[in-house]
Amino acid sequence: MAKFVRIGENLNVMSKILGPAMKERNAGPIQDMAKKETEKGVDFVDLNIGPARKDGAAMMEWVVNTVQAVTNLPLALDTTNLDAMEAGLKVAKNSPLINSVTLQSDRFEAGLKLAAKYKASVVAVLWSDTGMPRDANERAMHIVEFVQKASELGIPNEKIFIDPIVSPISVEINQVKACVECMGMLQDIAPGCKSTVGLSNISNGAPEELRPWLNITYLIMLIKNGLYSAIVDSFDDRLKSFVTGERQNIVNLVNKMLDGEKVDMNSLNDEEKKFAKSVKVLTGETLFSNSWLES
Amino acid sequence: MAFDIPKIDYSGKIREITLGSGDKAVKVGGASCFPFYLFEGKMPNLPKISMEVWDYQPDDWAEAAVEPFKDVIGDPVAWAKKCVNEYGAELITLQLKSIDPNGLNRSAKEAAEIAVKVIDAVSVPVILWGVANHEKDTEVLRLIAEKCEGKRLSLGPVEEGDYKQIGAGAIAYKHLVIASSPIDINLAKQLNILLGNLGVGEGQILVDPTTGALGYGLEYTYSVMERDRMAALTQEDEKLQYPIICNVGVETWKIKESKLKEQEDPKLGDAKKRGIMIECVTAMSLLMAGADILIMRHPESITLIKKMIKDLSSPE
Repeated sequence: MAKFVRIGENLNVMSKILGPAMKERNAGPIQDMAKKETEKGVDFVDLNIGPARKDGAAMMEWVVNTVQAVTNLPLALDTTNLDAMEAGLKVAKNSPLINSVTLQSDRFEAGLKLAAKYKASVVAVLWSDTGMPRDANERAMHIVEFVQKASELGIPNEKIFIDPIVSPISVEINQVKACVECMGMLQDIAPGCKSTVGLSNISNGAPEELRPWLNITYLIMLIKNGLYSAIVDSFDDRLKSFVTGERQNIVNLVNKMLDGEKVDMNSLNDEEKKFAKSVKVLTGETLFSNSWLES
Repeated sequence: MAFDIPKIDYSGKIREITLGSGDKAVKVGGASCFPFYLFEGKMPNLPKISMEVWDYQPDDWAEAAVEPFKDVIGDPVAWAKKCVNEYGAELITLQLKSIDPNGLNRSAKEAAEIAVKVIDAVSVPVILWGVANHEKDTEVLRLIAEKCEGKRLSLGPVEEGDYKQIGAGAIAYKHLVIASSPIDINLAKQLNILLGNLGVGEGQILVDPTTGALGYGLEYTYSVMERDRMAALTQEDEKLQYPIICNVGVETWKIKESKLKEQEDPKLGDAKKRGIMIECVTAMSLLMAGADILIMRHPESITLIKKMIKDLSSPE
């Protein structure tokens, strides 16, 4: 199995400590977090400075330089402010990742041009002028559009991380299924493209303490369908153990169920049962409710 | 080679639930196929219509809806009797509108007294429908439950915010609960699970998916009901195998298009026919999506829907 790529999400302006530190240009907490994420073995450090309408360019430039001083990891520059994005790209040393570009007509081309100019990789969020794609086919259509435009501008597929958009199971199971289906189609539609997801959105709305069951199960399902990377909590050691081969028994169980093999629930231990039940709700075999692990 | 008509493989069945007690008790549910797919399975109990009665004289009804009841509309007991004796109602729903804290705010004691009189005056099963105010519904429904022990009344709407209180009353005094969720299939299932965990028996639950009238969310309601029936019948989802009840009359007769007089907007046509058709189209759509009980208002709507049920279920 190819190494699964984790993009650490913890350097985020929403943090009560890191947000003010970014605004006040206080390097301490930010470098501290970057070091800790690096120690946790993530593959990218995401720098989320938010929409950053005021002061965005200066802030991104500063944050990138501040973080690069303590880690050699590549950075994911996470903002909707394209000026801030460019300021970050100018100073980023180690082939950065633009997080993200959507297909919305007012920013699609400008975002791709930045990627081309700075030879950066780019996350392609399949969100268009009409909003969220309704099914796997619309996702496929958006992938084709994105890749074609990128190709015209000289961006190779290998630099594109398709984000098929994970949406909460409590909202619409067909979207949960469509996202997996799209992942399975990706290499046929756009050979060489990479992929990524904002994983935890799958469990948005579910009881907080139960969310990891959905997150991990869905991650295994997406990886089986070719998922290359995910934006995750760098400090979630449990989640990490499922993508580093340490929990192969669970990965095998999930894969077996996805392949349509019948699994005897009575033969499973408590942990396996919870994963099996999570597979059932995430594939739509049983209807989700907040008590899905009990019933 | 002979042609085989493709058939759906049903693995589940809707539970059969009895409303009321005695010889006028009414059974609903029991279906082993999608609504009226009688070429694939059975519907041992056809959908039933419950006529609605308000516990105080409504002041904002469309003229066409008042007309059949104008002699009894201020007297819930006489009104309920008229529904049974004159219109042949098999079920009565008492809409406890008077208890609304934002309206008449009648006390629990007073509202319960009226309800008990209505329940005692008719031999058919009674459904009690509160105002979705958790505190007030709990207070009123628990009092009625206690006074009418063992009558298998249906108490609703029971929501996540008051299921423990009302559910406990239903367990203690042997009634049914109407599990009500806001047009959301996952929440509907969750509430059924919670009621089960509380100890409400499998024979004591009806499901209210929340009804949207024609033009006011009907599509959302029937989509959720279709999902519910698919899970119940083809995915063996035990937590969804309960009969569905829809509060149709209240929803369709409160919309602007049912209330406007013809002279206020002549292009909308005859007001009475219009109101009845809106109620019927809503009711019919919900029947096709899997409703087991429809709570309805206008006697002419009810006649029409009963005929439709009969036609759809006759062998030829």
